[in-house]
Amino acid sequence: MSVQRGLGPASVTERRREFEAALGRTAEARSQEAGVALERASLWRDALYRFAANRAALVASLAFLVALGYAYITPWVDSADPYFVDFSEQYRPLSWAHPFGTDQFGRDLFVRNALGARVSIEIGFAATLAIMGVGILYGAISGFLGGWVDNVMMRFLDALYGLPYLPFAILTIVVLGGQATFWTMVVALTVASWFTTARVMRGQMITLKENDYVRAAQALGARWYRIVFWHLLPNTLGLIIVFVFLELPGVILGEAFLSFIGLGINPPKASLGSLAQDGYAAFQTHPYMIAIPSLAIGWLILSAFFIADGLRDALDPRTRG
Amino acid sequence: MRRRSIIWIAVAAVLAVVAAGSSAAATGSFGSAKQTRVLRLSIGAEPPSLDPGLATDTTSASILINILDPLIRLGPSPDLKPLPSAASSWKVKGTVVTLNLNPAVRWTTGEPVTAQDYVWSWLRTISPELGADYAYQFFGIKGAQAYNSCDPKKQNCNALRSRVGVKAVGKYTLRITLSSPQPWFIQQLSHSSFLPVYKPSVDKWGDKFTEASHFVGDGAFLLSSWKHDASVTLVKNPNWRLASKVKLDRVEMPIITDGNTAANAFDANNIDIDYSGVPPELIPKYKKTPAWHVDPSLGTYYYGFNVKNITDVNQRRAMAFAIDRSSIIKYITQAGQVPARGFTPRSIAGGTTIDKHAILPPTSQKAKAKAYMAKVKDPKKDIHLYVNNAPGHTNIATAIQAYWQRDLGLNVSTKVLEWKQFLEFLGPPPNTDVDVYRNGWIYDFPDAYNGLSLFTCDSGNNNTNWCNKQFDSLVAKAAKTADFDRRVLIYQKAEDLLDGPKGDMPIMPIYWYTFVHLDRKNVKGFLIEPTGNFDLTKVSVT
Amino acid sequence: MLKFVVRRALWTIPVILLVIFLTFVMMREIKGNPFRVTERAVPASIQRNLERKFHLDQPWYVQYGYYVKGVFTFDLGPSLTQRNQTVNDVIKEHFPVSLRLGLLAMIWAILIGIPLGVISALKQNTIVDYLSMTFVNAGYTLPNFFIATMLIYFFSVKWRGWTGLPTNGWDNGLDGWRTWILPAVALGHAPMTYFARIVRGSILETLQQDYIRTAKAKGLRWRRIVGLHVLRNSLIPAVTAAAPLLGFLIAGSFIVETIFSIPGIGRYFVNSVTGRDYSVTMGITVLLSIIIIVANLLVDIAYGFLDPRTRDPRT
Repeated sequence: MSVQRGLGPASVTERRREFEAALGRTAEARSQEAGVALERASLWRDALYRFAANRAALVASLAFLVALGYAYITPWVDSADPYFVDFSEQYRPLSWAHPFGTDQFGRDLFVRNALGARVSIEIGFAATLAIMGVGILYGAISGFLGGWVDNVMMRFLDALYGLPYLPFAILTIVVLGGQATFWTMVVALTVASWFTTARVMRGQMITLKENDYVRAAQALGARWYRIVFWHLLPNTLGLIIVFVFLELPGVILGEAFLSFIGLGINPPKASLGSLAQDGYAAFQTHPYMIAIPSLAIGWLILSAFFIADGLRDALDPRTRG
Repeated sequence: MRRRSIIWIAVAAVLAVVAAGSSAAATGSFGSAKQTRVLRLSIGAEPPSLDPGLATDTTSASILINILDPLIRLGPSPDLKPLPSAASSWKVKGTVVTLNLNPAVRWTTGEPVTAQDYVWSWLRTISPELGADYAYQFFGIKGAQAYNSCDPKKQNCNALRSRVGVKAVGKYTLRITLSSPQPWFIQQLSHSSFLPVYKPSVDKWGDKFTEASHFVGDGAFLLSSWKHDASVTLVKNPNWRLASKVKLDRVEMPIITDGNTAANAFDANNIDIDYSGVPPELIPKYKKTPAWHVDPSLGTYYYGFNVKNITDVNQRRAMAFAIDRSSIIKYITQAGQVPARGFTPRSIAGGTTIDKHAILPPTSQKAKAKAYMAKVKDPKKDIHLYVNNAPGHTNIATAIQAYWQRDLGLNVSTKVLEWKQFLEFLGPPPNTDVDVYRNGWIYDFPDAYNGLSLFTCDSGNNNTNWCNKQFDSLVAKAAKTADFDRRVLIYQKAEDLLDGPKGDMPIMPIYWYTFVHLDRKNVKGFLIEPTGNFDLTKVSVT
Repeated sequence: MLKFVVRRALWTIPVILLVIFLTFVMMREIKGNPFRVTERAVPASIQRNLERKFHLDQPWYVQYGYYVKGVFTFDLGPSLTQRNQTVNDVIKEHFPVSLRLGLLAMIWAILIGIPLGVISALKQNTIVDYLSMTFVNAGYTLPNFFIATMLIYFFSVKWRGWTGLPTNGWDNGLDGWRTWILPAVALGHAPMTYFARIVRGSILETLQQDYIRTAKAKGLRWRRIVGLHVLRNSLIPAVTAAAPLLGFLIAGSFIVETIFSIPGIGRYFVNSVTGRDYSVTMGITVLLSIIIIVANLLVDIAYGFLDPRTRDPRT
């Protein structure tokens, strides 16, 4: 039964009935974990309403879905042979047959960009989830345990911040066999980008662990990992979701950067970054070859960003009611 | 209010720091030429070194032969006959080469360049302490390799040093004793690694003697400034022995690594010559204009097989025939390269005879390729093609992959490796996963021996696992044959073993390199020699 | 307070040592022969000579010792690929360029970003806000190389006649200022959007605070409220974000430096990694990590001044 706000019952009897019902509900809630279940139900529904009311976030979600649709439906409908080479079709301008033109091998860019978007999105999500996994683990443990463990872990993180990004990426690629495949890219991007998440997570942990329910759980004898994973992390779920959409742009840009340097995915597979690199050489004569993947990257990142903004506004306790 | 003015003060302070010029303030912008005759030529990379012993690339080599005086210059293609320069005459008898130096060659300090200068410079390059990459150019000289292999921590190398076959037998006479008669040695002397260095400079400045303020040369130009990773500037040496023939007063060489940027600079009249490499996508724009210049180079771009993985020669032949070399050149590389008919470039002296029987087709021959493939009993269907991560190579690989996939039904996966990783995989011996790889060879000296000797059994550059004793003995015999025509016939037999009708096809040559540069109309006489050098004494600007 | 500063400062030393060690391990693990520059193999004797010359034949702890000693004596060793230069030379030649480029980019970011953020916050949800936020977000989301190439394409090639801007190159002398404009804008674009967003968010948050409402109720003029209270408090997060951002800017953007042919430290660094020039890689990594770590330290100290809670070592 949802808790009604604002309007109250008219009469005393109704009020008493409400009161007793509320007592019963709180007793029920106490038998579950520290009120989390109750909070969660109203939190998510609340958040959904607030998110939907945020016009920018809605538009952005739509845009993101459009991008996903383009990336996944187009190659399915309009098949493209990645081994196609027909030089007479080179560099065709934009037309109905080729809405995005053709590249140096005569391949249709409408489909290739869709395939590239697919790869970029998949790498993006895979890497982001991995970043979440590693970052949350590290940050949560460091923040919760505190003391010298926290100190050492944070100083180590400082050192990792100081390390240059590129050797990290090359090293991962080399250690994993030498060529940049989908999974080596994911690992490389993860290894180089999990630091901020860890830091933020740690900050969150430090704030959250001062809560009473944590003390209560500790008093009841719960071990630290149970507290962290069962109590604290679910409370940060909202933040984690926001973070997914915040890290996604960084990962996609990171993939574009690595492709631009030449560490991108093996041809003839393509990612948006490798398509942009292909197009860079021709940007004076055929600017669409670099413009389209770049704009696609921008589109994905922009929508991810507004979604993140919307989610943060929806879930942020401070700006609520 | 006070807080805000603090902000403004801070901003002003930062601006002041930014405005304070650094100590290495550049003068001279790359604007249009003034009254002196200035040539602005863009180069594609920072010279790794201007020490003749350490300069490993063509850019450094070119700069060096303009600030130092080479012993020999090479005549025009295709003969590339040795012409006297710092050496006025020479005599070759068996393994002994005697050079007579021109006494008019002087250091910028005024002292003459003597044979002893050459002896000291060459021994320095061969010495193990310097760690010169190009010491191997000297391995043809008796005792050089032994001296280079000496470990100064474990033994005294001086004895080996004195046994190296280079001696000054007079103030201007240099006697060189080779380990075997090498008919190409005189031509090889035109290479920049044989240039002399000024001993007092090296003694005083050590590794820094190549800085512009310390450099002492004996060539047509002076090294006026070298701003690392930014530009190199040369000015005319008024005291050079042939200074009256030099028509340039100053040469500014900005280092522009990106081909697009260089092309933009060329269009904007910021440079007169673009030698930074024109990206293939821009080539159609310049190809029909008078700025477009293509000079042939002595080098071959080829794909090599790992013959231990692709064991059937018919499969190798099939794969070689399925490639459309002309299309690759016309649509991908676009720089006027020549489809390779064999390994030895036709532009080398005797090249046409050497390649006479080679069977490689310039366009794809699908029928023949399929016929060869049909003869293969147990074909290797999964092919791993290894290239390094430069766009040109991956484009060519994509095209070739398509040909093999489409016409031969092979399942080709391209593995793009980062450069140093790629070199590790190359070996020799090549990594076991490598079936086909891309490779290239630029000739050190203009003789077919330099290219053919790559594929001998124990060559450090044979990445194919192919070993043929008959080939080895032919190559060894050619090294001893002084007569040019007889040597060419021996080379022909060796080439036949590579890509003749009965050849083993351990490699698949694709094209012969060219050099591309864009010149403005007011530039005359600039060309890149087949060895990769440019001679600025022949260039003029109007 | 002093104890906090000293303690925090002392911690940077082991961090820097750790960075050196990790980079060292990374570079060793990458493998690859720094001396093989072309497909041509290096003859065995020459390879040995080169390894001996650069101490690569010594066990790893000896090599590591050389690097650490180099860091503390400020002699970072010779470059493996640029044979006539030492790492110190490389840094001396290229670091001032990157420093200037980074500072200029930061100035651009601050000069444009902060006013944009202020205006869109004060005029929230009007057309001004939407337009500027679109501009800002477009800049943030489009990749660096795209912005750089578009800048060159329009300002240096198409409209060359009006702008007179060169397409490439970098002239560190004062009269070379024309070469600084486009690269600074290209590099400063992303930080500019960052500042705009932070400032906007921060001002919006400040505007909701009670004391602003009090000031309005008291009858203070809006201008004074904004100038005196709002800006001062909202700019703090932006300013504290500036320090590490400057560190990253100076680390140089390889892409901007390559596209504009700028002889900066970013491009040199990437080339040294791909070329396996160990000493240059180590030297530049040490330099850049010192900058970033010191910047972080300054931010932490600034926060320590501003927010006493962070001084407590228990949090």
